[in-house]
Amino acid sequence: MSCSPFDLRDYVFQELSATERKQVDVHVKGCQNCREECERLRLTEAALFSLRDEEIPQRIAFVSDQVFEPSAWRRAWAGFWGSAARLGFASAAMLSVALVVFAVVRPAIQTPGPVAASQNGKAVSVSSAEIEQQIQAAVDRAVASSEARQRDKFEQAVAEIRQQDLKERQQLTRFADAAIDMSTRRNLLVERSSYDFPRADKGGQQ
Amino acid sequence: MIFRAVEDTDLIRQAGRGAVEAFNLLVSRWEKRVYNYLLRITGNREDALDLTQDVFLKAYQNLRKLDDPARFAPWLYRIAHNEAYSMFRKRRPEVDVSELEPEGTETGIAVGGGSVFPLELSLAVAGALKQLSPEQREAVVLKIYQGFKFEEMAEILSCPVSTVKSRLYAALELLKIQLAPVKARGAS
Repeated sequence: MSCSPFDLRDYVFQELSATERKQVDVHVKGCQNCREECERLRLTEAALFSLRDEEIPQRIAFVSDQVFEPSAWRRAWAGFWGSAARLGFASAAMLSVALVVFAVVRPAIQTPGPVAASQNGKAVSVSSAEIEQQIQAAVDRAVASSEARQRDKFEQAVAEIRQQDLKERQQLTRFADAAIDMSTRRNLLVERSSYDFPRADKGGQQ
Repeated sequence: MIFRAVEDTDLIRQAGRGAVEAFNLLVSRWEKRVYNYLLRITGNREDALDLTQDVFLKAYQNLRKLDDPARFAPWLYRIAHNEAYSMFRKRRPEVDVSELEPEGTETGIAVGGGSVFPLELSLAVAGALKQLSPEQREAVVLKIYQGFKFEEMAEILSCPVSTVKSRLYAALELLKIQLAPVKARGAS
């Protein structure tokens, strides 16, 4: 376990700030364990450096081809759309222009009420009266129309009821006639049945 | 007249305006490093060369998307990392990428031939690197061989700095153990 104020590996691999580095410098001078640990790390690093970089077997180079090379305009266009900041700025600029154009070009909203009032107070009262009159007329028309519809419906309903009543009366009359007829027939049958036919045994007794 | 060295940022700006020669100069500055990075994570020279070409082609096509030219190196290595892992996935789609091992037996070793290090040590290092997981190996390659800072490594590998540090330090612990006998013999 290291007693250094900062990680010795950060110290060896140059990841400490100048101030931190100075503190570790001072500590390492007085601490043998930390000095040895630093030495081990440096030896490991040195051992790793025994592997040399290789030369690249084939050099890489690009050739400018006018056929495949994008035009300056296309490069600029691609570069413009490739940058989020530029894109955002362009969007904001377009929105601003659209707002300005709309503010200048848009048609004025017609507001006759306030304008008329400021110019002529009478015109406002006439206008209001006319509006009231028109509204009243419209309401009257609507009410009349509604009443007419209601009246028609009511009359139609009364006519239907009357017709129904008439039908029922006729039916009742027919029933009554039939009942009278039945009664008459029954009486007749009763009269006939009460006729005392002469019987053989009855006559013998007499 | 003032002379100054042409910096990468100058070349990136010129290449972004369509100057192919500027891009070729940029390629010549970075091709060896990118090739060796890919060689160490793929373990195959042909794959490494093909991927290097693809990486620079993609870099040229997408150079305009690079907002900060000062971040060119991590941006380029991010493309290289993506290209390599894309190749791994295409070849072995059923295997998780974190479990993939380099295919070839050649692990980018260039031993002997005028090296100041003994052949035995180079072979031991190559063997020890091979024992690491692909993620640990890539962390070692980016830090030790390519010299990136932790933040840049996190950008390249698309993971948190803490993950990068954990991978690297776990790898170093293993390497320290593996290479200790060889170093001891070399020192004696």
